[in-house]
Amino acid sequence: MASISARRLAKELREIQGEGCPVGISLLKADDFATWWFSIEVMGESLYQNEAYTLQFRFDSQYPISSPAVQFVVTDGKQAPIHPHVYSNGHICASILGNEWSPVLSVVAVCVTLQSMLASCKKKERPTDNDRYVRTAPENPKKVRCHLPKSVSSANSFPDTIPL
Amino acid sequence: MSLCRLQQQLLSDSVPPRPLIDEIVPMSNLREEYENGSAAFVNQIDSLTARGYDSVRRTRGDGDCFYRSLAFAYVERILQSPEPDFAVASSVSALAATRDSLDKAGIDKIVYEDIYDEFVGLISTIVQPNSAGKKLDSAGLLLAFQSPEMSNAVVVYMRFLTSAEIRVHRENYEAFLIHPETHEPMGVDAFCANIVEPLGKEADHVEIQALCAALQLNVDVAYLNGGSEEGVVDFIPFRYASGSESLPLVLLYRPGHYDLLIKGKQGEQELRH
Repeated sequence: MASISARRLAKELREIQGEGCPVGISLLKADDFATWWFSIEVMGESLYQNEAYTLQFRFDSQYPISSPAVQFVVTDGKQAPIHPHVYSNGHICASILGNEWSPVLSVVAVCVTLQSMLASCKKKERPTDNDRYVRTAPENPKKVRCHLPKSVSSANSFPDTIPL
Repeated sequence: MSLCRLQQQLLSDSVPPRPLIDEIVPMSNLREEYENGSAAFVNQIDSLTARGYDSVRRTRGDGDCFYRSLAFAYVERILQSPEPDFAVASSVSALAATRDSLDKAGIDKIVYEDIYDEFVGLISTIVQPNSAGKKLDSAGLLLAFQSPEMSNAVVVYMRFLTSAEIRVHRENYEAFLIHPETHEPMGVDAFCANIVEPLGKEADHVEIQALCAALQLNVDVAYLNGGSEEGVVDFIPFRYASGSESLPLVLLYRPGHYDLLIKGKQGEQELRH
């Protein structure tokens, strides 16, 4: 039998291809179970109107037990959104991508959370420690240790899914 | 931190990590760790031994130890049942029913069905040989729980069961949800999303209650906490099995950690192998 990781990603991909993504999010490329790319855009009024960004997901064999490595793409002329929790190298400081990741989340759920993180932004600015961080950042964004005052957590930004 | 503690810490950091869950060892293995330390712990260990709890199966202290040891004991109980066909069939049908409560709790099928299949598949191989023609035995069970893929999948399913139980029967739990570090009261959804569902977050009384309720289990938690100089050990009972005569699974709690506590015969049998 295929690994849990491959089975789960195959299902997520089928669902994305069959039902599409939420508004503002689209799948750009997914040729294997290692790396996927999405385009993400904030709908409605926000500081990021008419701006589209590219998100990269990298999965290891322990997904969804372990979190995907998620970052904004900053190559080929692409840039990371200017946001207090997004470093200029594309790394994102969000607790759901780190110690608050849970296998309840899916690739699309992460996209939606990051989309709402951008939508709710009040001021376009880089994290205060951006330069220092980018100089010494590990290649894998999962190794980011967030020291920012308030990082994005599933409790306040992830929609309540309880039907009761 | 004193220099001595610091040294100990460095020493233990350089030791290769304990397996996710280990072979059964005699109680003396645990006792040695306290012999130069707390007399109260040593007295409590001796009193457990005197009560027949002479062995322990230790787990890695990775924050998942409660879920992992309980799941292990749950499957082991089925494996050692005098009527394995019946035990497997009742467990599989009880687990099938838990999917309803995951659905009610709003946990997506796509998120739980693979790990559910994995867990039920493991239990089924107690009576049905797997693709390699092999049935699950004690050695196979230990191997399965030592392999991160299977072991963590089972831990995640335990976490989902716990979360679903708390979310669906929120009125039973919401007054008792407290953030483990800040000790502030928490709402049901935040508690489940931040404390129960992510791996590596330790379980406390509420989670034990919820998981025992979800799996309809009888569990005793023995508190080895140095709380009594005379060596008295409190056993906290959790009783959720429908047949009340069902013997409890016994966990050993030490501050911040859970292992499995094993009584007499069972320990002897396994140690002889």
